[in-house]
Amino acid sequence: MNIEKIAQYIKQNATADDYSLNISNWDSHQTRFAQNGITQHIAGEKLDITLSVSFGTKTGSCTINQDDEASLAFLLKTAEDMARLAPEDPEFMPSATAAVLPKVDNCDQETRELPAKQMVEIVQTAIDKAKAIDATVSGMTERHYGESYMLTKNGFVGSNCSTNFAHSMTLKKGSVETKVDYDAKRFAPFSLENDFARLAAQAAALEGMQVFEPQKIAVILRPGALQELMWFMGWMMNRRQSDDGFTPFTDQLGKPFFGPKFSWYSTLLRPELNSTPYNHEGIASVEIPWVEKGVLKTMPTNRYWAKKVGSTPSSTYNVYIPGGESSEEEMMQMVPRGLIINRFWYIRTVDAKAGELTGMTRDGVLYFEDGKIKHAVNNLRFNEIPHDVTRRILALGANELASSHASIPTMLIDGFNFVDKTSF
Amino acid sequence: MKYLDLAMNAASSLGAEYADIRIQKTTDQVIYLQNLSLKHTNTEVMHGYGIRVFKDGAWGFAHSSVFSDAAVLATVQKAVDIAALSATVNKNKKLRLAPERSYIATYKTPVQIESLDVPLQEKVELMMEVNRTMMSYEGIKQAVFYLVIHKDEKLFASTLGTRLDLTNQFIDPMIIATAVHEGDSQSRTFDEGGRAVGWEWILSLDLIEKARQIAQEALIKVKAETMGPEARHSLILDPNHLGLTMHESVGHPTELDRVLGWEADYAGISFATPEKLKNYRYGSEIVNFMGDNTLPEGLATHGFDDDGVPGQKWHIIKDGILNEYGSTRDTAMEIGLDYSRGCNRATYYYDQPINRIPNLYLMPGTKPLTPAELIADTEDGVYIQGRGSFSIDQHRVNFQFGGDFFWEIKNGKLSRPLKKVIYKSCNPEFWNSCDAICDERFWRPFGVVNCGKGQPSQSARMTHGSAPARFRNIRVGGSQ
Repeated sequence: MNIEKIAQYIKQNATADDYSLNISNWDSHQTRFAQNGITQHIAGEKLDITLSVSFGTKTGSCTINQDDEASLAFLLKTAEDMARLAPEDPEFMPSATAAVLPKVDNCDQETRELPAKQMVEIVQTAIDKAKAIDATVSGMTERHYGESYMLTKNGFVGSNCSTNFAHSMTLKKGSVETKVDYDAKRFAPFSLENDFARLAAQAAALEGMQVFEPQKIAVILRPGALQELMWFMGWMMNRRQSDDGFTPFTDQLGKPFFGPKFSWYSTLLRPELNSTPYNHEGIASVEIPWVEKGVLKTMPTNRYWAKKVGSTPSSTYNVYIPGGESSEEEMMQMVPRGLIINRFWYIRTVDAKAGELTGMTRDGVLYFEDGKIKHAVNNLRFNEIPHDVTRRILALGANELASSHASIPTMLIDGFNFVDKTSF
Repeated sequence: MKYLDLAMNAASSLGAEYADIRIQKTTDQVIYLQNLSLKHTNTEVMHGYGIRVFKDGAWGFAHSSVFSDAAVLATVQKAVDIAALSATVNKNKKLRLAPERSYIATYKTPVQIESLDVPLQEKVELMMEVNRTMMSYEGIKQAVFYLVIHKDEKLFASTLGTRLDLTNQFIDPMIIATAVHEGDSQSRTFDEGGRAVGWEWILSLDLIEKARQIAQEALIKVKAETMGPEARHSLILDPNHLGLTMHESVGHPTELDRVLGWEADYAGISFATPEKLKNYRYGSEIVNFMGDNTLPEGLATHGFDDDGVPGQKWHIIKDGILNEYGSTRDTAMEIGLDYSRGCNRATYYYDQPINRIPNLYLMPGTKPLTPAELIADTEDGVYIQGRGSFSIDQHRVNFQFGGDFFWEIKNGKLSRPLKKVIYKSCNPEFWNSCDAICDERFWRPFGVVNCGKGQPSQSARMTHGSAPARFRNIRVGGSQ
């Protein structure tokens, strides 16, 4: 990929009044394993070049994956032809202008150069460890290196590079299934020893499952479970959707709509988190308090809507939910009985206006009583409203890296609404 | 194309037991119109090739978008190297490929009007008119028209000697009206899913009339009452609702890779395990599901799959009994089948193909029965149209579904509109509760264009279908 060549071609040949050029290139290696064998093994680079243009307020765009001159000519002609034929856009926004971008550090050389052989050795070791306890393991080991660039006719220029290493393992032993995963921008902190030990301990705790009926009950939600809920809630927090009356956040900006123990930020200050210097509209990343001590402070807003309502455009580039100091053992002492949830699965919106979601537990549910874990229970279905869940936070644990983009604590929640159960 | 032979000769000389190359050019045109503003108008072309090498019981897959002899040979070498690395792990768990013959064939989705050739202006003018029609109704706050046109052009070659030239395309129009009324917001959607046809389908749909209908129904829905506490009722499910229900509760559980546990880490496994084949009562005796990758206008009707296996038609559930899975060359052998059902599909050139749901549909009832007669025969129930919320556990047993439009049925009549209805059920209870299916005159397809699965995640397409069907004694109620 030759960024200069691509940019130069567009600068020299574009006839549009305005344009925005986005380029990304990812070099990936992905080893997928299941039931103690490798089932897929993929390597290659992916290039994306997207050109968005406008004539007046008429817009068009095109995306290609090759950077030879004929392909770039196709890119330009397709985008410009589309824009010429498009109707005037009443919500048109010119491309971003020059901006001061924050310095970010998302790229790690060791991770970028991680050899395929070493990745396969990790898989082999995980399988050997699973076999040693008469179990099977399935998962994926992957590393990625990506570069991205953005420039506009109005003077915006930005670039970013990032690395990612992830290793997931689902262990199955008899009827027990459970999972751990590592997903971070650096390989170095990864320890298969530690992760597999955690996986084996989780599996051991899940043996001897007993039937548990759905009910409202206190839960300890681990970060892997909370991450899923927060993702959906963040999606519903869009400013325009709320202003139009489609979500529960209508007219809640500036008000204590969440529980007082709940805060949520996008931040450049946490070195463990991946943080992009700008978003797809060319908005520089800054410190953003979305929710602070329960008060809805900011909502994701695109440039058009921000201009219309006199706000500042913003988007979520990572998730930092500050935790507390309670351990799981301490949380179990705070309520008479409850469940520990490892992970949620297949969350979907039930009622967008109410903000209600449904989903299942997965990868292990533990019942505790009188401060001690008693036994594993079957998986359960919940119907819940995430912002209302934050009002029922009883305690917060220490932050954990749920993924390369999310640092989330364990939470103790009162009265979580389970409505159905499975047989496993 | 010379690269086909170059790659296959190189793979053979490097010791591949089997190899294939898929040169794939995917063109997507996406137009998203919201309240008369074009929010997204993009044409995307992804062109490249993926090379699979099978050696010593393991796969290696490498991809590239650089078309030159040197790049093709380097990609073959990379796939061979990766396969060799995989084989070091699979020493005691070697994959095997079901036998297959070679084919030299061409397949093209039959279309009358090439959708990509229709001028953008013509498309946008229609979409604007549809948008304006919806917004002319007081109370409609948001009008959306989302149009996707997709075309795949593939050249496939394998070391079996197969050479395929495949062109598949589909079109997927979706229009949404959202109403706001007294603190509530409800949407109604026209969504038949995608269909493997050309622009002639759009011209036949009378979308202006559809826009009027869904705008009116959005306003009815937002003012409708909720259902109240959960109780057991009958359900009559329209084809454009039942499509997603069968996708989740029959399609995914009968993918053989899930059955084998190959999706355990992400998409999940299946309760429909091999010892249940030919003896497990999945549904009532009137429940017959076909896997059919020859279905006209079907989204998974590609001529051949990405193993080079031709499209086929077979019973997945026969007279209510689990009959057979959807399989691929590498999954079939794991349960002793010596043939694949041709369900291996990749999304883009850079994706390694995986076991996907075929076109899968519920056969219509064999006795004459109209939807009106079915409603008239139902004392107490809910009639559901369109898809809404959907969620199912990772073994594909317990599920909860919403819908897009609901009518209460009382004493054989549609008595009042409802909103926020959900139902809960599980396998095999749900399909065993099916006691009536309308006849073939009322069978309709429903295309799914965004079936997510796999690591790395891929999005596949397939067509479902049914006639309206009734399910007895299901837990139905309002949400929360």
